[in-house]
Amino acid sequence: MSTPKPDRWRALRLTLITLFVALAYVFAYRGSFIASGSPLDPRDLLSPDLWAKGGPLLGDFLTPDLAARDIEPVTLQLPVPVPCGSAENGAPAASGPRLVPSVPCAEPRDKFTVEGFELQPNTELQLRWRLPSGQYFPGQFITTDADGYFSAEFEARPIVATKDGVPGQIEVELQVEVGELKPSQAFFDVLDGVIVTIFMALMATAAAVVVAAPFSFLAAQNVTRRGPVGTAVYYTVRTIFNILRSFEAIVIATLFAFWVDFGPFAGVLALTVVTVASLGKLFSEAIEGIDPGPVEALTATGANRLQVVWFAIVPQIVPNFVSFIIYHWDINVRISTIIGYVGGGGIGYYLAQMINTGQDNKAGTAIWAIVLVVWAMDFISAEVRKRYT
Amino acid sequence: MARLSLASLLLPGLGQYLDGRRARGLGILGVILAMLGLIWWSLIPQHLSLESRPIPLKGDPANLAWLVVPALIWAWNVWDAARPETARGWIPVSLASIMFFVIGWQAAEINPPVLASNVDRVMLIIRPMLEPDFIQARAEEREGWVELLVPCPAEAPMTTAGSDHAIGVALDAPCGSVGDTLTVTATGLTPDVGVELIWQSPIGDFFPLRQADNPTEFRVEKPDAQGNLTTTFVVPNAIPPGIDPTLPQEQRLYIRQSRPLGGWELSTNGRFILQGIYETIALALMATTLGTLGAFPFSFLAARNLMSSNAFTLGVYVVVRTILNIVRSIESLIIAIVFVVIIGLGPFAGMMAVTVHTIAALGKLFSEVIEGIDPGPIEAIRATGANWLQIIRYGVVPQVVPAFTAFTIYRWEINVRASTIIGVVGGGGIGFFLIQWINLSDYRAVSAAFLAILVVVQVMDFVSAKLRERLA
Amino acid sequence: MLEVQNLHKVYPNGTRALTDVSFNVEDGEFLVVIGLSGSGKSTLLRCVNRLIEPTQGKILWDGVDVTAATGAELRGVRRRIGMIFQQFNLVKRSTVMTNVLAGRLGYVGTAGSLVGLWSAEDKAQALRALERVGLAEKANARADALSGGQQQRVAIARALMQNPQLILADEPVASLDPVLSHSILQYLEQLNREEKITVVCSLHFLDLVHRYATRVIALKDGQVVFTGLPQEIDKARFKEIYGEDAIEVKAGLSA
Repeated sequence: MSTPKPDRWRALRLTLITLFVALAYVFAYRGSFIASGSPLDPRDLLSPDLWAKGGPLLGDFLTPDLAARDIEPVTLQLPVPVPCGSAENGAPAASGPRLVPSVPCAEPRDKFTVEGFELQPNTELQLRWRLPSGQYFPGQFITTDADGYFSAEFEARPIVATKDGVPGQIEVELQVEVGELKPSQAFFDVLDGVIVTIFMALMATAAAVVVAAPFSFLAAQNVTRRGPVGTAVYYTVRTIFNILRSFEAIVIATLFAFWVDFGPFAGVLALTVVTVASLGKLFSEAIEGIDPGPVEALTATGANRLQVVWFAIVPQIVPNFVSFIIYHWDINVRISTIIGYVGGGGIGYYLAQMINTGQDNKAGTAIWAIVLVVWAMDFISAEVRKRYT
Repeated sequence: MARLSLASLLLPGLGQYLDGRRARGLGILGVILAMLGLIWWSLIPQHLSLESRPIPLKGDPANLAWLVVPALIWAWNVWDAARPETARGWIPVSLASIMFFVIGWQAAEINPPVLASNVDRVMLIIRPMLEPDFIQARAEEREGWVELLVPCPAEAPMTTAGSDHAIGVALDAPCGSVGDTLTVTATGLTPDVGVELIWQSPIGDFFPLRQADNPTEFRVEKPDAQGNLTTTFVVPNAIPPGIDPTLPQEQRLYIRQSRPLGGWELSTNGRFILQGIYETIALALMATTLGTLGAFPFSFLAARNLMSSNAFTLGVYVVVRTILNIVRSIESLIIAIVFVVIIGLGPFAGMMAVTVHTIAALGKLFSEVIEGIDPGPIEAIRATGANWLQIIRYGVVPQVVPAFTAFTIYRWEINVRASTIIGVVGGGGIGFFLIQWINLSDYRAVSAAFLAILVVVQVMDFVSAKLRERLA
Repeated sequence: MLEVQNLHKVYPNGTRALTDVSFNVEDGEFLVVIGLSGSGKSTLLRCVNRLIEPTQGKILWDGVDVTAATGAELRGVRRRIGMIFQQFNLVKRSTVMTNVLAGRLGYVGTAGSLVGLWSAEDKAQALRALERVGLAEKANARADALSGGQQQRVAIARALMQNPQLILADEPVASLDPVLSHSILQYLEQLNREEKITVVCSLHFLDLVHRYATRVIALKDGQVVFTGLPQEIDKARFKEIYGEDAIEVKAGLSA
């Protein structure tokens, strides 16, 4: 029993601890509130610019690209004879997607206005001349408004003059969705990524079990820690497990990507390494937690060390092991979704590609697929573990 | 019995399900459906685009042969349905394992021989990794240079010599052609300390001159006791391809001497590592703190026992719970990608990502703690006429504090690890530097970063273990 | 004959569990060891088959120095000494049959036993052992599906598989209710009388000692304080062994 410390010592200690914690937070704040290379004022977070940037991005992420119709190019044309009278004037349609020139015909070098109605909204289109020869003469790019309307000035070049009674035509090419709604390309790509990811996790978990199971016995006090050699082995294996557990799989994946090239295999190897460390630790703790009675009983029958392990320890740890293995498969699916980001392969690789090329809807598809798979794995693993143990 | 077999023949697992062995029935159905789906997937050809990698087994008609596995399991299931006592599961389990592992082997492109055949690459990085680039011997770099024209122009050129720290450099000729042997004289050097001879090409690239008899080694010359050096060298061919080699170009010979000052200092990369470690710890601490504070209110909203009193609160419960579950299943690294795009590179984006993930993960754990508390005190406090907030303050909070603390410390350990890699996508911390060094193949710096991560994670684990001991 | 000579056991933490313990057990005896918990009974029994290493002293069994045996020799000694434990020490997730067969491990090869190949003879013997303790129909049940008394009978069957000449029983009935206690001890008594297996058994209850023991030794603080016939233990002796506050607890059928 130590004598109680004087009150002022306690007060001093408390002050020092408070001071230390306060300092830690000051430094933590200064170290973490940095964006784009300069300190970030928390008030900037309220600025509308930031939200204006983030909003559409989040919107894209939230609207995954799952299904699409086949796209067919449709050309919208209207004859505009140059010069006037060289051929019959075109008659614009009364409704539906249509082009309407301000004049029915034109002289060479005349400028006139072309309006488009009921086209695809907010789309970039090219307005051009279709020459009598069948070739086309490119004009300017125009963007339709939210109603699918545009209005643009257009020039009748001499080259578009009527030839052999065939007039030049103004035209735009539309991409029109036709037919049934069906799974989009992104859907199939994401499916591929998800399946490869699940298999990456499966293979890594299986490989890790094969390695971790024997080593975990070496890292279990009650099995190994006997005599100087046993103690040395015990501490060595423990330390290796501990060191490996300090690194995230994604870091190790970069090294393996250098060794075996980018691809799922690099990810599998990295996952295997971290899973060995993590499972090894859990396994050895399970072994340390067994009932020592059967070990004693079988030792008393004259069984040797191997037989004791096999008959007294193994049956006791199987349910724990199975539960840990399934749990790690679940975790590994989660990790392999990001491991592809650096190591290549699986849904992470696809996600990285889509983010880097700015195809945010497709990135959104991948993110939703990840959520779904992780959820499903979570559910299945919890159910199986519940039933088995 | 025959009835159960018939049921299982029609729909795998149905017989077992009807027999009361529901999990077994659902499991059989699930496995067969998964197999059929997998076979379908393996048969459709892959659409290859710029952004996708080919998957080896896709579109191979031979995959159709795998149908034999679900067929066998289907048959086994018919047999199993009628024999609840004797049936063992090892037949379908091993069949399914074979199929999934063989397909997995192909899909994940497992290729162990490449580990051995590429072992030279490992050797390539092991040596630099044994010399982590963190500190270096303190030294003073001094250099002097002399300019010359290669090849000699028609009229006589001027020779200019530049120098700092009083190293004078002079040549015996103002110009030379590739392959000429020239003599260089340098003065003002530190006696008996090695000197490097470095050539600068017309476009400004530096490369050290190599030994004539041993071209894999750089030239290092020793000045005499007075600090003078006279030596000969062969004018190297430093004209980049595409430039007319007959045109006289200004090139330079540098004499560089590194004078040891004694002691050690951080190398440039060492300073980056310290900065990365600082950012890592800072963002982990901020994220854990903010995450815990954020998770706290959500956890009460996501606790069924507190929220099931009426339809409105139950609705809130379902919504909060669903959002927590969705966010929890997205790795913080992926969340970080979004924040980096919105906020910009740096620790803040990473910190926000880890915070968001922490809120979701801790919110769920906390809510489970709340769901597991003893309802007695709540009832007692409710009986005193307390309102919802008062019930939480006096009936719930005292019960959950120990478990909340334990989970927060546990989360702190996870967040430290996450913060070491959040920089891979631009979220700040040591990972930001690490991924760049990996891309630059600077394995001495990579090795130092690995060691730094190891130390930080181990120290932080130790700190949290001590903290846990104190609080327990 | 089992001879224990000047046995000492000091645990690494300094606890003196046994101090200069010496006694002999003739073949065919039913020797009961009594004493308070912590008096060294368990340590003593475990020293006999070297589950615990004695610090000093000698144990001779049939002229073989058990304390000097190592490796295969030690396992050879162990396989002829059956042991029964207070907590039964069955592998709970394995079947009864596997638990009983495990008693044969000292006799069979490592490789064969690890893949679960048992000879027909061993299996037949296991069934006979189970019949003997009245549990033949439970052979394929999992051990944790059995009651405590049944589990202890399985443990006896496991010991029988060793064809033991000596059975060590460490508080075999301390976890069982009185009725079951008698049934378990009766099995041991039967083996002792019919198969001439020597039994060394530690017990807690005086009436069980009176009923089953042919000879008794008492331990107190790791020292032998009494050796003699069960009838010689009267109330006074009992108090001497168990301390002043002890009251004799009856583990009778009426309890």
